[in-house]
Amino acid sequence: MALLYGLLWRLLLVLVHVNRALISWLRVWVKSWKGRLWERAMAALLLPLALAGFPDHQRKLNHNPDANANSATRNRIASRRSRWLSDGRSLEKLPVHIGLLVAEEEPSYTDIANLVVWCMAVGISYVSVYDNHGIFRKNNIRLLEEIVKQQQDLLGVEGSKYNVEFLSNGSDKHQHHVVSCRPIVKVLSPEDGKQSIVQAAQQLCRSVENKERSSKDISVSMLDALLRESKYIPDPELVVKFGPVNSTLGFLPWHIRLTEFISLPSHRDISYEDLFGILQRYGVCQQRLGQ
Amino acid sequence: MSWIREGELNLLEKISANILKAGPMPKHVAFIMDGNRRFARKKNMERQEGHMQGFNKLAETLRWCKHLNIPEVTVYAFSIENFKRTKDEVDGLMELAKQKFERLLEERDNLEKYGVCIRVLGDLNMLPHDLQQIIAKAVVTTRAHNKCFLNVCFAYTSRYEITNAVREMAWGVEQGRINASDVSEALLSECLYSNNSPNPDLLIRTSGEVRLSDFLLWQTSHSCLVFQSVLWPEYSFWNLCEAILQYQLSHKSIQKARDLHREHQTQLQLESDRACVEEHMQHHGNGKPVDTQRRQEAQLHYTACREERVQDFIDALKHKRDSFFTDLCSSAISA
Repeated sequence: MALLYGLLWRLLLVLVHVNRALISWLRVWVKSWKGRLWERAMAALLLPLALAGFPDHQRKLNHNPDANANSATRNRIASRRSRWLSDGRSLEKLPVHIGLLVAEEEPSYTDIANLVVWCMAVGISYVSVYDNHGIFRKNNIRLLEEIVKQQQDLLGVEGSKYNVEFLSNGSDKHQHHVVSCRPIVKVLSPEDGKQSIVQAAQQLCRSVENKERSSKDISVSMLDALLRESKYIPDPELVVKFGPVNSTLGFLPWHIRLTEFISLPSHRDISYEDLFGILQRYGVCQQRLGQ
Repeated sequence: MSWIREGELNLLEKISANILKAGPMPKHVAFIMDGNRRFARKKNMERQEGHMQGFNKLAETLRWCKHLNIPEVTVYAFSIENFKRTKDEVDGLMELAKQKFERLLEERDNLEKYGVCIRVLGDLNMLPHDLQQIIAKAVVTTRAHNKCFLNVCFAYTSRYEITNAVREMAWGVEQGRINASDVSEALLSECLYSNNSPNPDLLIRTSGEVRLSDFLLWQTSHSCLVFQSVLWPEYSFWNLCEAILQYQLSHKSIQKARDLHREHQTQLQLESDRACVEEHMQHHGNGKPVDTQRRQEAQLHYTACREERVQDFIDALKHKRDSFFTDLCSSAISA
């Protein structure tokens, strides 16, 4: 009997996996189908224009392709940027601090860089990137380079007003790679989680040891102040988790008290629309704060 | 309504339970029982009736857990933030809790039969004194039971719990039982209200909210989180099965992450011990170079001493906590 149940359990798991695969395949398919539909619709719209003698595309191809291509890209970038910004404004609320939690093996730097740039473009001030192996922490230079590159690709040279302040704790705590105002990208690893709480606890215990403070004085707000950066960064209001594992995997336990968690199956080949969908979902949820 | 529900699962439920049990099962499940008030509104009931139904659902869920061989359940009954609700509602909830814990004491024999141990996690000092006494009685009566465990988080938030743990460690430092350098992740876990339980394997939140609301933040950092849209009073056996299936799907990856974390923790402890020994040698070694063997011996000695110190402190803390409940209980009897 136990054997039979075991078999049935395996079958059940297989079914769930198939179901998941089917859903994600369907998603991709619908997306590409929509894309193709859009392309065709555009073509159908542009066709009369082309026939009427304003062959913008053709002109670009025939005469002086370089200059025109350049201005076209610049235009495209400008319109994209203003679209993203107005997208951000159209939402009822936007997180000030967003966390990107990658719960997948082998992260893709380009996709994460894209996500970071989109987040900044819609107007989010703080972006934290986390994985539980500390891969991003170890390779933070590579991530930074990728972000700068994607920023130029997606937002153009003028996008450099979105300068990145790149914080990454640990050994190089006081070494900021690019210093400017906002937005701020933070690379987090498990050390920033429980370990930082332990360090704060140790610090408080030391001050008790040196008779600077009594154990009774220790309060939630005191610990909270220690766990914040010197600069005021709010707790993340939204964490987007990528990957099939349903867990925070050690993501900043102290700071996720009121954080909303939204999952996506993967961060690979993620599109702006996926991210915006998540932000829309976040935009409509309400918090009662115990009331 | 009673805390303990008797009765078997029906045939279909039993088969499904057996199928699930063929896979890895969670040993400890935590619930955020959200949606009682929304349920009451939906059904045009009094708010208090919604809370009542919520409690009944808890009793039923405990029965399912028993049949699914889940020995430990933790529930979020009342948050410190909930004191912000209207006085009317807070009073109602306190009254409900009082009734239920009184009822629990009446069911003493049944609790013994099933070996149910009840623990209450939170700062009881925030509660009315009579409720404190009843809770203490329930906790002391069931303390020795060891088959199933129900942890009720009452006047609880996770940040408060962590802060309290830090306060306890600082108390240990004040008493001269431990040094500030002994503070570690493992010690902090031992000082939490939940020190007697393993970390939850699965956390379930109902009613479609997707946040933790200051519940077990420390303990669930490597747990499977399942958010379900059903309102708590409408929770069914099948919802529970679905959550367990989610856990089973994530089980392997989470286990891997846990192992990684544990490895890292051991490493940190080793480094911290080494640093302490190093510092000690610099103070007492008169600058003479120390050979590797002596260094190793010193380190082993230091580790043994630290472990003894920490254990002594943990015992003292346990004693302090136990006597808090025993004192409350005896004050209730003498009153």
